[in-house]
Amino acid sequence: MASFKRLETEFPILDSDFQSFCALRGIFTVQDFLIHDLQSLVADAEQQPSSERFMQAINQVLYVIDGLHRPWLNGVDLMEDAQKNKHALSTGCEGMDFLLRGGLQRGQVTELAGPSSSGKTQFCLLTASTVAYKHKGGVIYIDTGNSFSAKRIACFLNQISGPASEEMQPRILQDVMNSILCHSVFDIFSMFDVLHCLGSKLKNQMCRGDNDERLIIIDSISSLITPILGSSGSQGRALMVSAMSLLKKLAHEYNLAVLVMNHTVGGDGGIPKPALGESWKTLPHVRLLLSRDCGSDTYHVSLLKHPSVASGKAAKFIIND
Amino acid sequence: MSEAAVKSWINGDESARQMLGRVQASRPSFSLPPPLHRIPLRVGNVVEIAGPSPSAKTQLLVQTAASCILPKEWNGLHYGGLGHSVLFIDLDCRFDVLRLVEMLGHRITQVNGCSCTADNEEILKLSMRRFSYIRCYDSLELLATLKTLHHRLEKEKESNGIGGHLLMIDSIGAFHWVDRASTSLPLGGKNRKCLSLQNVLEVVVEDLRKLLSLHAMLVIVTKATIGGPTGNEVRRNYKRWPSAGTFDASSELEGLQKPYFREYMPSIWQSFVTHRLLVRGSDDHIAMPKSQENNTAYVSEWLLPHLNFLDKFVVRDAGVFLIP
Repeated sequence: MASFKRLETEFPILDSDFQSFCALRGIFTVQDFLIHDLQSLVADAEQQPSSERFMQAINQVLYVIDGLHRPWLNGVDLMEDAQKNKHALSTGCEGMDFLLRGGLQRGQVTELAGPSSSGKTQFCLLTASTVAYKHKGGVIYIDTGNSFSAKRIACFLNQISGPASEEMQPRILQDVMNSILCHSVFDIFSMFDVLHCLGSKLKNQMCRGDNDERLIIIDSISSLITPILGSSGSQGRALMVSAMSLLKKLAHEYNLAVLVMNHTVGGDGGIPKPALGESWKTLPHVRLLLSRDCGSDTYHVSLLKHPSVASGKAAKFIIND
Repeated sequence: MSEAAVKSWINGDESARQMLGRVQASRPSFSLPPPLHRIPLRVGNVVEIAGPSPSAKTQLLVQTAASCILPKEWNGLHYGGLGHSVLFIDLDCRFDVLRLVEMLGHRITQVNGCSCTADNEEILKLSMRRFSYIRCYDSLELLATLKTLHHRLEKEKESNGIGGHLLMIDSIGAFHWVDRASTSLPLGGKNRKCLSLQNVLEVVVEDLRKLLSLHAMLVIVTKATIGGPTGNEVRRNYKRWPSAGTFDASSELEGLQKPYFREYMPSIWQSFVTHRLLVRGSDDHIAMPKSQENNTAYVSEWLLPHLNFLDKFVVRDAGVFLIP
């Protein structure tokens, strides 16, 4: 954050007198000002001979600070934005859409946890094809285990689009494949890179007014986070929280739905529970637990957490081969 | 000083009854929906709703916000709201405005029987205009928000004269890990503060204190209990409590406090909080009327001031309901 010395060129009231007054109290930058108790600073400033100028300067800094937080939103604006921009995206599974009241909510992060071979990747691929085909939206697919399969997408597309004419089929396929962007990512820092690039790309697109990205899929986020959680320090958790905070920011500002995969670990009595621990639980908007009976193609999904649906509800769905 | 002035000074300015009336007007008590209704809450109080995730903490906030922004009366109909404004600071960035709209809709149609949709729309807008929302993605944004909130409230007071606010923070521990990990070395002067968990919360508390002293405000904060680095210890406790056998009230009370409640906030925050409510999910499922589905029941307990009983509640589409 800017130092007062640099701000002086723009706001001459922050002169060298004020700077040395602040420096005595350990305040050199706007950040120092933020973590300093304002009341005691004001009380000190009032004792000084040039108190009036100092008070003006403090108010000037407060004015600068006012630009550092996001604007306050009125409830009516918030409601209108949500009704206009935060629709649900159909996942392609009827049972899932019904459970989630229409599908993956734009602006929200949905977690899907399940044991190995419970159909997580299949669900990701189906959702990616559905969103790309039905919603004509761009999909950013972050693949951490080389499990993305274009062939499977083509197969799902055949099922969704139904019997299309011979010459239409290749064009649809090309459009859908063009709108799914797959990034192979094997550690959390590369994921930050991808997301930061995406953020600036979306910002540019937003200015031009042609924002057609709809969905970010991370299959799976737990394989990026688990390796850094191991140590007893707080660094790993800090990275996990910042990654989710970045995802939520992207989701909210650019009206994206975010779908992240998590694996499961054995909980009490051997019942599988989502991995990543207690601090993770507060991060996603929606939490789902997926399971599949051995050998059957019926998937069971239960709701662990949702902003507006009572938790504990469950649904079944089928993903065709 | 004239004799009359001395006499009036001796007599005092007001009777106890007048004073009570004045205090009640300037420091209104909030009658909030259950389970917050057990304790009379006043302007100046700081309420902390603590609990593991998910335990319906945000739902309680949304429900409280809904009954706060609804008008008391409108067009001759009694809506039973408080007509105060709500400031919602979202640190978890998980607030769903449509959930608030849904709850308000239920409250409104309950009163007027969905007779006139244009009326409903208008009363919804009237209520939502009293709701202000901000999201913060890190501690510095939170500090910037709190430092400039006073000016914002002053401006608001001038323009429409609303007194009596409800400030909500969801949830205060959101940046705990990030701030703990930031171990920047102090640079420059010896007295220069570095960005650390302790310093951030000290200033948050100072800023909130100042706001409370200048504005008629009630603060409600949620706090998610998180497993610390010593996760094994938590798990051991967690495993122990179901084997406690029969669930009479006292053993349930004990089980509620021990495994779930591990304080991680600095002591400056703990001494700032005046009321504390603990919530958690329970294993019971309550059958919903007119449907086969079950609702998860939640249990709430007042820790500060300590009340020796538990409330059970469920969350339905229309809001939070106590179960007798």
